[in-house]
This record gives sequence, structure tokens and C-alpha cells, in this order.
Amino acid sequence: MNTLTATEEIKGLKDFVTFLSRELKPKGKLLTPFNVISASLILLGAILVLYRLVKGMGAVTNLSQEFPWGIWIGFDVMVGVAFAGGAYVLTFVVYILHSDKYHSLIRATVLNGLLAYVFYAGAIFLDLGRWWNITNPLWGNKFGANSVLFLISWHFLLYMIAEFVEFSPAIAEWLGMRKLRKFLGSLTLGAVVVGIALSTLHQAGLGALFMMAKGKVHPLWYTEFIPVLFFVSSIFAGLSMVIFEGTISHRVFSDKISHEEHAAYDEMLVGLSQGCAVAMFVYFFAQLLILIHGWHWALLNTAMGWWYLVENVGLVAIPCLLFFQGARYRNLLVIRTAAILAMIGIIINRLNISIIAFKWWIPFSERYFPSWMEIVITLAIILTEVWVFRWVVNRMPVFGKPPAWAEETHS
Amino acid sequence: MDGFTYSDIFATKGVEYLLVISVLLLFIPFWRMVSRPAKAMYEAAESVVPALSEWFQLPEEKLYYHQGHSWAMPENDNVVKVGMDDFARKLVGKIDGITFPQVGSRVAQGEKGWTLLAGAKSIDMLSPVDGEIVAINDSLFSSPTGGGQDREGQPWLLKVRTPKLSANLKNLLSGGLARKWMEGVRESLLVRMNYNLGALYQDGGVLVDGIAKSLDQEHWDEIVKEYFLIS
Amino acid sequence: MGIDRRTFLKGLGAGMAVTLPGSSLLARNLEAEDIAARKEFSGVLVDTTRCVGCRSCEMACAEAHGMPIPDIGDTSALDTVRPTSVTQWTVVNRYKTDKGDVFAKKQCMHCNQPGCVAACLVKAMAKQPDGAVTWDTNCMGCRYCMISCPFDIPKFEYDSAFPKIQKCSLCWERLQKGQKPACVEACPAEALTFGKRRDLIEEANRRIYGEAGKYVSHIYGEREVGGTGYLYLAAVPFEQIGFRTDLGTTAYPEYSKGFLYSVPIVLLLWPAFLIGINTITKRKNELQSREGGKR
Repeated sequence: MNTLTATEEIKGLKDFVTFLSRELKPKGKLLTPFNVISASLILLGAILVLYRLVKGMGAVTNLSQEFPWGIWIGFDVMVGVAFAGGAYVLTFVVYILHSDKYHSLIRATVLNGLLAYVFYAGAIFLDLGRWWNITNPLWGNKFGANSVLFLISWHFLLYMIAEFVEFSPAIAEWLGMRKLRKFLGSLTLGAVVVGIALSTLHQAGLGALFMMAKGKVHPLWYTEFIPVLFFVSSIFAGLSMVIFEGTISHRVFSDKISHEEHAAYDEMLVGLSQGCAVAMFVYFFAQLLILIHGWHWALLNTAMGWWYLVENVGLVAIPCLLFFQGARYRNLLVIRTAAILAMIGIIINRLNISIIAFKWWIPFSERYFPSWMEIVITLAIILTEVWVFRWVVNRMPVFGKPPAWAEETHS
Repeated sequence: MDGFTYSDIFATKGVEYLLVISVLLLFIPFWRMVSRPAKAMYEAAESVVPALSEWFQLPEEKLYYHQGHSWAMPENDNVVKVGMDDFARKLVGKIDGITFPQVGSRVAQGEKGWTLLAGAKSIDMLSPVDGEIVAINDSLFSSPTGGGQDREGQPWLLKVRTPKLSANLKNLLSGGLARKWMEGVRESLLVRMNYNLGALYQDGGVLVDGIAKSLDQEHWDEIVKEYFLIS
Repeated sequence: MGIDRRTFLKGLGAGMAVTLPGSSLLARNLEAEDIAARKEFSGVLVDTTRCVGCRSCEMACAEAHGMPIPDIGDTSALDTVRPTSVTQWTVVNRYKTDKGDVFAKKQCMHCNQPGCVAACLVKAMAKQPDGAVTWDTNCMGCRYCMISCPFDIPKFEYDSAFPKIQKCSLCWERLQKGQKPACVEACPAEALTFGKRRDLIEEANRRIYGEAGKYVSHIYGEREVGGTGYLYLAAVPFEQIGFRTDLGTTAYPEYSKGFLYSVPIVLLLWPAFLIGINTITKRKNELQSREGGKR
């Protein structure tokens, strides 16, 4: 197992510069198929971003007066943030409930959460028509505290800081700064508590954005409980993403993962599967309750009604059962399949509320479909995030054990 | 609501309450089932290895077990026989030798008692009682049966004179408690194997030497030390 | 200064009242004092039974705000139902009903409790004390106001690198100067009446009850979404002339209020719960490890 961290302490600027220049060199082959394809997409995405900034949003997106929000909000932000929910759920389990079982996953998950929010804030930036005013909700004298979006923008910022604090011990270990590492370790619990409170609110808040879209979101999806549903679904969305991304990471970075961690991995998957099963059980019956409460069962026998059933039966109830059985029979293939289905369900749910079931009466030909440019930019954002993740994992102790001198202070 | 005719805004409340109650009731078996492995998993394990419980002989009544898998059997006159349990033997597999402390030296409950030698590894075991060693069993490795596969009796390793016998015995497990503890140990082993008992049968039916070795060729001694409570 | 503002406006108002023909209501409209004092919401009453579809209001609006002037001579524009757009803050649409052609002017409704104002996180959308809902350039272009408007009014300049949100402003700048909105001034058929919202509702009721059977007994905008500044009268049911009648009477900001008020509660309770659970499990772990250690 390679030691990733600086074994020497960095004393002074010269040491730091040498260290940094060494670390900045690419590790591993440069011209792999993945690298070539993703780099081209990222480059194309960057060009399109410039084009969008110069020409305006209409040149790059298919947004319209009827559909002001497209995939940059409906997918990048809403789905992305739901998937990043693994960070707050796992930090709750590891730092609040003191479950040692998931310890080896926690840094990768927190890193993913941090990167997700940073990049989805980037996506929001692109989606702002008057992006130069992006600092207006953050400082100035005209705070629209009445707005759900105000809350979300502040939460995103604060949460990024909390996630960074949670991850910072790994950075300190990379830099070999012992005192700093100790100090940052003491901040972890506070950052976790703040992170969980913030996450609860902004996961729910993304749903609350649509509360004033009453009459535009189809009645089967529109309910006063959208915030609660978004919060509960973020739990299993995040855990499913942890399962999915963990499966990939374990293969790609297997040389960095210790022997014991590989063995313990199966045990973790079973536990995560149990968590997903319970969260989806609650979510499914919450949907049923809302259906009855809203008197909407008659709508089930319409096209949108069937689509609603596809989402909630096919992509919630069924993965719930798969997680349930997968945990009981410790069948990793079933668990992974369930994770993928659950993630598709989340994508469909968020897209439904923001695009598909939004103004559902508008005929097909006049509806919003993302332009290829929007899709390329979205992919470029995701791939850039993957590149950054890979860069960090290849240098900092994310998988595998931290250096011996770093005591794990898990209070 | 038009203000001219009656509409009951609470019409669904009764159904909602019923739904919530039934969901909560449904949740109880759901939670219980999702929290533990399916019965079929246990049954599959049993079918591969008939009566898993036969592997590790259930603790006998007279034996008092230490959680590090050594046992003490009081004989007479404050002298107890001390040995290692079936689980420990199956876990370690073939033992090449044992390093005993000298007769007359003292041992303490929960402290190192003797050392097993298997291949290149040496593994300590904890003594179940306090006292002075009065005899060691030299003949273990001289006879063909050795200390490995003997299932008829529990060969003793040491005999110890224990002045504080009843105090010591209070800290050890016996009877029903010991049985429960053994079940837990068995469960943890199954979990480790991820219920994949195929790992134990390498050459189509022959039990691999030592369960720990089949779990981890390289670091099997670390697994054993975990169970023997050696840090 | 020789003459104070109040007296000047009074004089101006009186002068206008004398020079312009009209009913006593017009005189009340032009009580510039009230407008200048801005104590209460102003609004516009649209009487669709009087509108002839000349679209002079569209032209006046464009003129007053520097937008391309629509050719109101070309009546083919009335063949389709048009939404407002980034260059047209108001449009007049023609609807075929069982009482013949009815023309309905569409623009920002200037709600009492606007969804767009509640949505705006930088207060670019603001409800002025005199009733106008205005947009300001500190806008970020997030388009949340477009999502939140029950009438789908704000329009976004997607084709510009420096896009603005375009919608009717109730000619707020003109209101400051004691003038009426441009569309109201331009209407030759007296279909548009500007005044205090309170007075307009009274006038609307007067017309409904005064001319029995002419109007549908409903003032659209009186209670819809908590009440709007623009009020409508019609001789036919409002669904027939392009109005949504399923919007309810709750002001749209009320729908997010519940969530917004849960925020301080969660921020208060969650940290306490979490630290509490953390303390309990930590203690449990400590006890367990202490017991399991020495045996």
C-alpha cells in the first residue's frame, strides 16, 4: 500500500513549493481512453461556457418563457445535491452514532459532497442570466430573506465551508502539518452538526422552491409536503450514490484501499442497503398518504398518473424491495442493482417536478428539451469533478489509512 | 369550496389515520427482517456444513469459559484444569507446538497464559484463572492425535492451583451464558465469511486447515488474536 | 420655494379635472394628493365590455418605455392569443365567446402579495407602497420569479448577454410624477380606469349591480391569489377569455411561508438533538470498551 502523505514535515516556503510542484505532476498514464474522451468533453464544455457568457443563455440553452428552468437546475443542482446527501447521512452515522463500520468510506464521501456542491454552485453560476450580481444575496443591503432561494444560496455556501472543514484534516495530513491537523480534527464534530442541520434544510428547500409553482406542477407531484419528501429521498439518494460511487472507486483505486477495508466493504454495503430500504419504505408510504390526503387517486388513471406510478412503484417500491432482500441475503449484485434503480428514480423525480410534470398541459412540440450544448456543459461539469476527485485521491489520504502520526480524534 | 354547498375538508382523515397505523405495524416486521440475515442464509450454511453447531462443540456444563477462548475446569483442592476450546482449535488449525511457562510460575486471569506456535506465527492465549502452575501437559505433541483434531475430550494444557477460585469463576462464562456467547462468536464468524461457506472448502469437501487461514492467508494470525482478545 | 409640492399637485389635479371631460370618478382618480401620498394601493379596473381591441394601450406602453412600437393597424395579431413578451409588456387578445368577440388586456396583475416579490432573493422585484410591482437591475437573472408567478408574467431576455426581466411596471415612474399609466391614458373607450384599489372595487360593484345582467357577478382580481391591483369585469365567464379560475384565494407567498418558518426551528433543534445523541452514544461506547478491555 503506498504512503500518500508527506513523511517529512514542511518547513517554510521553499519546502512547500518543492512539495507542491512534485504533487502537481500527473500520476499515472496520461493518454488513457477515459482521459482522452473526458478531456475533450471538458474542453468543449469550456468553449461552450465562454460562448454562453458572450452570447447569452438563449444561444446555448433551450430555455423559454414557459420553461425558465432546465437541466442545469433540474438535473445539475437538484439531482446533484440529492446525490451528495450521502455526506450528511454518513457523517451522522459515523460521528453522531459512532458506528465504526463506515469509517473507511467517510472521507471519500465527504470529499464527494464537497466537490458536488462546489461544482453545482458552478452550474448555478452558469444558469444565472445576470451572473455578475451573484454576490448580491451574500453581501449588500438588499437581502431577500423572504425567498427560499436566499436560504438555499446561503446554505450552499455555509455547507461548502462545513464540508471543507470536515475534509481539511486530510489536506493537513497531505501537507504534513501536524499541529494544523490536530486543530482541524477538533473542529470535525462541530462541522458535522452544522452540516447535518444545513443539509436537512436545503435538501427540503430545493423542494420548497416549487411551493409557489402551484398550478404549474401536476397535482400528483404538487403537495405542501414536497420539502419533506425531498429530505427523505435525499437520504436514500445519497446512500445509493455512496454504494454506486464506492463500487467504482473500489475498482479504480483498489491499490490504495487496505486489505481490511476490502473485507469490511461487503459489510458496509449491507448496512447501507438496510438504510436505503428503511428510508424508501418511509418515503413510499409518505407518498401514499399524500395521495390520499390530496384526493388525487382518480388522477392515477391518466397518462401522467401512469408516469407517476412508474416513478413511485417501479423506481421506489421495487428498489426498496431489492435493497431489503439484498441486505437479508447479503447479495451484493442485488444491492448494486437496487442502488442504480433508486438513483434513476431520483433523477426522474427531480426532473418531473422541474420539467416533465411542470406545465404538463403544454403540448410535446412546445416543451423544453435540453439542447446538446446544455448536455455537454453538464457532462463537462461532472467530468471535471471526477478529475478533481481523482487528483485528490491520488495524493491525499482519502482511501487507506492516514499517516501514523495523525491520531483519529473521533469524539 | 364555493361557499354555497358543503364540502368536508377532513373526509380522508380517518383513512389517513388507519394508513399510518398499518404502516407502523408493517414497519415492525420490516425492520426486524431487514436487520438480520435471512433464515435461508443460515439454512444454506447448515446444508453445506451439517449442524454448524457440531463444529464447535457446545460448551459442557462443568467448563467455565474465558472470552479469550480458554476454559477452566475445577478438579479438586483448588486445582483447575485449563485448556483451549474447540472454536480456538478450529480457528487456528494445525498447531506445531505450544510454549508453556514453567511449572511453579504464576499466571493471572486475563493475562498471557501460554503461546501457540503454528508455522511462522506465534499466538498468545489468555489464562482464565489466577494462580500457580502445578503441571503442564507435555504429551500433547508426542502422541499421533496431537492437539488438533481431538474431538473426544478436552485435552488440558495446564493445571493451576487457584486460591481465589470462586472469585475467578465469577468472571467466567458457563452453562446458558456460555452457549449464548458461543452463538455470538459463531455469528461473527459467519458475518466475516459473508455467509460464504464455499471459502472453507477448497478442494471439494476437505476442510481447510484452520478457519482463520481460509479467511486470510497472510494475516490470519491477526484474526485469531482478535478472537483471543490479544491486542 | 414659492409653492409647495402639495399645493402644486392640487392645482395640477384641479386643472386636469376641469379640462378633461368625465365622470366624478375620473375626478377622484386624479386626486393627485392620494397618489402622491401613496398611502394605499392603486390599481386599474379593466372593463372588457368596453374594450374594442384597438390596442392603443399596447402602442402607448411601448412608446412610454422605449420598446418597438407595434403596428396596431395590422389586426392579424389578434388572430392568435399572444402572451406578453420581452418587448411587449401588455397585449390585447381576442376571444370568441357566445356573446361575440371579447377583448381582454393582459399584463402584470400587480398582486397585493406577489409571488415574484417573495421569490426574489435580492429584492429586485419589489411591491411599492402605491401598489406597483417593479423590477430593479440588481437582479441576478435566476428566473425564480418566473416560476412563482401564478400568471406567468415576467419575461426573460434569453437572447441578450445582459438580460433583463421585462414586465409591466404600472408606469411607476409616471406615478411618481402624478401621471396615470400610459395605457390608461391612451384608452379611447374608457375601458381602463386608474385609481385607488378600494375605489375601483366599489366602482366595479356599482357597475355590476347597476347594470343588471350585463356583467358576470365577479370581479376578477378582487380575491384571486389574495387580491391583485388589476381588476377585471366581463360579460362572460372568465375562463372563456383566457383567465385561470383555479388559482385560489391564497396569496402565493403563503405557500412557502410554512417552510421558511421551519428554518429557525430546525437550526435550533437539530444541533441540540445531534450533540445529545453524540454524547449518549459516546458514553455507551466508552462504557462498553471499558468493560470489554480487562477480563
